[in-house]
Amino acid sequence: MKFRPFRLSLLSLSLLIPAALCAVILFLLIYSAPAIGFNGLGFVTGITWNLGDLYGDPVSVRGFTVPNGADYGILVFVTGTLLSSFIAILIAVPLSVGAAIFLAEAVPHHIRPVLSLLVELVAVVPSVVFGLWGIAVLIPLIGHYVSPSGNGYGLLTASIVLALMITPIIATTLLDALLQVPKENRESAFGLGATHFEVVTKAMMPMVRTTLIGGIVLALGRALGETLAVAMVAGGALNIMPTSLFSPISTIASFILTQLDSAESDPTNMAVRSLAEIALVLFVITLAMNAGAKLLTSGALNVRKRQA
Amino acid sequence: MKLSNLLSRSTALRSGVAALALAATVATAGAAHAASTLVETGSSLLYPLFNLWVPAFTAAHPDVQITTTSTGSGAGIAQSIKNLVQIGASDAYMSDALVQHNPNMLNIPLAISAQAINYNLPGLANTHINLSGPILAGIYSGKITMWNDRAIRAANPGVNLPAHVIIPVHRVDGSGDTFIFTQYLSDSTPSWAHSVHYGTTVSWPAVAGGIGANGNSGMVSAAAANPYSIAYIGVSYAAPAAKAGLGVAALKNALGAYVLPNPATVGAAASSVVTITPPDERISMIFAKGANAYPIANYEYAIINAKQADAATAASLRTFLNWAVTDGNASQFLDQVHFLPLPAAIQTLSQTQIAKIK
Amino acid sequence: MSASARLKLTARPARSLQELRRTIVSRIGWVACGLALLCVIGPLLDIVGVVAYRGLAAFSIKLFTSTSNGVTGGLLNAIEGTFIISLFGMLIAVPVGIGAGIYLSEYGSNRVGGVIRFLSDVLTGTPSIVLGYFSYIVFVTSLGWGFSLIAAAITLAILIVPYLARITELALRQVPVSMREAAFALGATEPTVVFRVILPGAATGVMTGALLALAISVGETAPLIYTAGWSNFLWNGRFTNEPVGYLTYVIWTFIDQPNAQSHALAFAAAFLVMMVVLAINIGVRLTVRRSTRVV
Repeated sequence: MKFRPFRLSLLSLSLLIPAALCAVILFLLIYSAPAIGFNGLGFVTGITWNLGDLYGDPVSVRGFTVPNGADYGILVFVTGTLLSSFIAILIAVPLSVGAAIFLAEAVPHHIRPVLSLLVELVAVVPSVVFGLWGIAVLIPLIGHYVSPSGNGYGLLTASIVLALMITPIIATTLLDALLQVPKENRESAFGLGATHFEVVTKAMMPMVRTTLIGGIVLALGRALGETLAVAMVAGGALNIMPTSLFSPISTIASFILTQLDSAESDPTNMAVRSLAEIALVLFVITLAMNAGAKLLTSGALNVRKRQA
Repeated sequence: MKLSNLLSRSTALRSGVAALALAATVATAGAAHAASTLVETGSSLLYPLFNLWVPAFTAAHPDVQITTTSTGSGAGIAQSIKNLVQIGASDAYMSDALVQHNPNMLNIPLAISAQAINYNLPGLANTHINLSGPILAGIYSGKITMWNDRAIRAANPGVNLPAHVIIPVHRVDGSGDTFIFTQYLSDSTPSWAHSVHYGTTVSWPAVAGGIGANGNSGMVSAAAANPYSIAYIGVSYAAPAAKAGLGVAALKNALGAYVLPNPATVGAAASSVVTITPPDERISMIFAKGANAYPIANYEYAIINAKQADAATAASLRTFLNWAVTDGNASQFLDQVHFLPLPAAIQTLSQTQIAKIK
Repeated sequence: MSASARLKLTARPARSLQELRRTIVSRIGWVACGLALLCVIGPLLDIVGVVAYRGLAAFSIKLFTSTSNGVTGGLLNAIEGTFIISLFGMLIAVPVGIGAGIYLSEYGSNRVGGVIRFLSDVLTGTPSIVLGYFSYIVFVTSLGWGFSLIAAAITLAILIVPYLARITELALRQVPVSMREAAFALGATEPTVVFRVILPGAATGVMTGALLALAISVGETAPLIYTAGWSNFLWNGRFTNEPVGYLTYVIWTFIDQPNAQSHALAFAAAFLVMMVVLAINIGVRLTVRRSTRVV
C-alpha cells in the first residue's frame, strides 16, 4: 500500500498526455460544431472556399448568421493534400528502397554507419529549412528546366520536397529490417545460384514487405500533416482543382497556416470555426494513417524508436 | 554513480532556471516603468514605412519599444481588435459589420498610398502597357487568358504582345492590397461586383495556373519567378519590383484616361475625397472621378483599439501616432516608399481620433 | 520461404543469354540502388552546402550582438527567443515525459498503459499546425495570454512530451529485470529502485530523448507562428502578453522579403538552426551507437 502514492503520481503525470490530446479533440469538436452544422456534407465535396462579402452585412442562412455568399468547401485542399502526399510516396518509395538495399548490401561495413547516419539526418532537417531550400534551389530549377509555364511553384515541387522529407523514414525502417534478415535465408538463395541482386530482390525483400508497408504508412502520416515546407512552395491554389503536375495547390495544413488571419476578418466567426473543422478533417486523416500503420505492423515503430 | 551526476545536474539546471525566471520577473517589475512596448502587425504595404519610422521615432523616444511585423491587413485588423497587438496596420478600413461589433476600434489614416499593377513580360518591362478594370477582372476571373487577347491588344495599339498564357498572382493572406484591388474591379466592372465582391480576402475565381503569394514581398518574388505573370503590388515595393524587371501598367480611370501611379495622379485621387472624408475616416478613394486621378489609391490606416490595457501604453501609442501623422509624414520617409503625406484637413481628423485612445 | 522456389533456377547452367541478361539486370539494379542513395543524401548535402554558404556569408559580430530592426539588424533577439522558448518548453515537458516514461515502463503493462501509449502515439502523429491552431484559439485569444512565451512553451511541450515519454520508456525497458529484482530483494522501495537503479541505468537513453526533443523544439515553426508572435527586442521577463522572437520565424518570413539583406538574415538563421539540430542529432547518434549495438 505504501507504494501507491509514487505510482499514482507517475500515473497522473502520464495521464497529462491523453488529457492534452483529449483537450485538442474536444476543442476542435466543440469549436467547429456550428461550422459542421452550417457546412453539412458540402464541406468535403465543395471546391469553393468563399468567406463571403466581408464588407456587406451578415445574413441569416439556415438559421446561421454568416457573411453574404459564404460558402466553405475544402475539396481543393483535401485533393492537394492527398495528391501531393501520394506523389511524394511514389517518389520516395523507390528511392528509399534503393537506398536501403544499397546500404544494407553494397556498402562496406565500416562506411555504412556514416552513410546511414546521413540518411537519418535528412529526417531531422527542420521543415522550414526544407522550404527555404525549395524556394532557393528547387523552384528556380523546376521553373527553368521542367515546368512548361515557367512556374516553379506547385504540385510537383511540393511533392518533391515532401518526398525528400519522408524518404529517410522509409529507408531507415527498411534498412533495419533488411539487416535483421537471417543469414540462412540469404545463403540458401545464393546456394541456388542467384546473383547477389536477385538474393536481395527475390529472397530478402519479400520477407520485409510488412515492415516496408508500415514505414510507408508512417511516412504518409508525416507528409499529410506537413505545413511549412509545403506552404512555402505549393503556390497556394484556391477554388481550383489541380490539373497537372505543375498546377499550384494548397494542402489542408498550409491552408490553415495562411488563412487563419483572413478568417478572423469575418465578424460572424464562421470562417474561423470552419478552419477548426478543416483541422478536424486533417486530424482524422492523419489519425487514420497512424492507426493504419500501427495495425499493419508494430515493428516499424519500434525500429525507429530503438535507434533513438 | 551516473544517477547522482544526472540528478545533480538536472537539479542544478532546474534551480538555475528558477533563479533566472525569478530574476526576470523582478527585472520586469522594475522595467515596466522605464519602457513600454508596442507591437505593430498587418499590412505588408505599410511595413517598409514602419521600418523607416521606428528607428527615427525611437531615437527621440528611447522609452518606447516598437516591434514591426508584416502579416497582412486582415491580421492587422483582427489582432488589433483582439488586443494582441497595439497597432494594426491596414490598407483597408474596417467593414461596417466589424465596426458595429467592435465600437472601440478606430481607423486612423497615417499616409496616402497607391497600388501598381505589375507584370513580368520579357522585353516589355519598360513599356507601360495599358490595362483597365474590366481587362483585369477578365484576367483574374479566367475570361482573358492570353496576353495577346483582343481586349488587351485594343487597349495597347502598336505594342507587340506575346501569345502566351497569363499567370495571375493573387494574395493568399488577408490583404489590404486585395481589398483595394478588388474594390477597383468592383467599381469598374459590374459583373465582378456581383460575383466576387471586394474584401481583404475574396474567393478568387478558378484560373488555371493562377498563383497565390504571401505578402507584397511574396508577390514580387512570385511575379519575378514567373515570366508572363501579372500581380497587384503596393507602391512601397516599387523599387524591388523594378529591380526584379517587372513593368508597371497604366490604368484606366473613371474618366477613361490611362494613368500611371505617380505623386500627381495619386494626389489627384486623394484630393477628390478630402472634403468628404467623415470623422471616422473610413472612405474609399478607389476609381476617383478626376481627369488625372490614379484609380487605385487609398488611405493607409492604423487600426487601433481605443481602450488600451493601461494608461502608459495608451500614452506611448498617442505619442507615436501623433508623430507619425506629423513628423513621420516628412518626405524623407514617404519618398522612399512612394507614399504621399496626409492633407492638412485629414491630419486634423486623424489627430482628433488619436486623442480618443485611452 | 517460397523465395527459393520463385527463383526457378536450373542448377549450374551454362553461360547463356538468360545468364547474361540476369547479370546485366543485376548490374543495372545495383547502379539504380546506388543512384537512389545519392538522391537521398545529395539533397541533404546540397541543403547544408547552400545554407552554410549563404548563411556564413551573412555572419558578422553584429548578428550575435544586436537585435533585429524590421528585416535588418542582427539576430540576437531571435537566438535568445529560440533558447528561452525551447528551455521553458523542455521545463514543462521533461518532468511529464520522463514521469510518463517511468510509469509506462514500470507499471504500464496493463490496459491503462496500453491506452496511454496508443493516445501518446496519436498525439505524436497530430500535425503541428493543428496544435498551433488549438493554442492560438485557447491560450492566445480565449485565455487572453496574447502572443507569449507561455503559450509557445506549452504548445511545444505538448508536441514533444509523447517523444520524451516513449524514448524514456524504451530506455528504461533496456535495464535488465535482474537489477530491479536485486534492488527489491535488498528491501528498496519503489521510488528508490526507480531513482537509484533504473534511471541511472538508463541515463544515456533518457538524456538522448531529452536532447532529441530539444532538437525538435529548436527546429519547429508551425506551432509557434500563432503562439509566440514576433518581437524585435530581447525578452523582458513577462510570461504573458509579450511576444517573443525566434529563429525559424526569421527563415519563414524574411525569405519572402524582396531585398538581399533580409535573405541573408534568413539564411544565417537557417544555418544556426541547422547547426544546432544537426549537432545534437549527430552527437546523440554517435554516443548511442558506441554505447549500444553497432549497426
